[in-house]
Amino acid sequence: MLRFSPTAWAKLLFLRDYGKTEVGGFGIAPRDDLLYLEDVQLVRQTCSWAHVAFDDESVADFFDQQVDAARHPEQFARVWVHTHPGDCPRPSQVDEDTFSRVFGRSAWAVMFILAYEGQTYARLRFNDGPGADLKVAVGLDYSRPFGGCDHEAWKQEYLSNVQAQQPIRITSTATEPVVESPFDEEPTDEWLDNWFDYAEDDDNVKGLH
Amino acid sequence: MKVLLINHDGGGFADYVEIVDGTTVAQLFEQQVGSGRASDYLIRVNRQPCPADQVLQEGDRVSFTPTKIEGALR
Repeated sequence: MLRFSPTAWAKLLFLRDYGKTEVGGFGIAPRDDLLYLEDVQLVRQTCSWAHVAFDDESVADFFDQQVDAARHPEQFARVWVHTHPGDCPRPSQVDEDTFSRVFGRSAWAVMFILAYEGQTYARLRFNDGPGADLKVAVGLDYSRPFGGCDHEAWKQEYLSNVQAQQPIRITSTATEPVVESPFDEEPTDEWLDNWFDYAEDDDNVKGLH
Repeated sequence: MKVLLINHDGGGFADYVEIVDGTTVAQLFEQQVGSGRASDYLIRVNRQPCPADQVLQEGDRVSFTPTKIEGALR
């Protein structure tokens, strides 16, 4: 079973729900329990509502940081985590291609997908010998010590790493931080006041009377 | 001489390895990754991208990390 600490799970839900795009990252596990995720960490990524692509330099930086923190690659580079919109956590062909190409030369790896509506998918692959793929259950593990929520730190991690890309059907391909989009702001009635101010100025309504 | 190698493949590796003087980045990649395609990795020395023929120095930090990690709904 792939197990999450309550803190790691809360963080993943927070990251999934903070913006309007998919997000992805790596699960972090202790040395003695590689299928127990005590954290999920993002790398810089470009995302849309149905796609996420990691920045290669940021992945390399992440590896360096984790090694500097005395972690072994098995602890931080074996559980690939990403989200899907809607209710379908099943891997797409893009997911499968990445899992094979990127994680197909490691001894083992897990692809974990969390759908927006809460459904999960986890598959453990062994690449040594004849190889094997096993769907594994997902659960929360309260049996080990775990920390509290830190929404501010999670928010900063999100803002530092996630760049939202406009959907392809919109002509612009520029990227910008998700929450800085004016469309993400709470709607107000300010526009109505502005219209009244505009209409009260006679210069603006000449010829309309 | 020794260099610190970070390699995503196999069991995962992050430790010092002994190499002979004059070893290039490309030679170390071939020794460690074998049949893997270089285009599937970001290869850096001391946290910077490097040419394949760069000769490694004592204490260099070399990393072979995965590229083009992407997921999608469809």
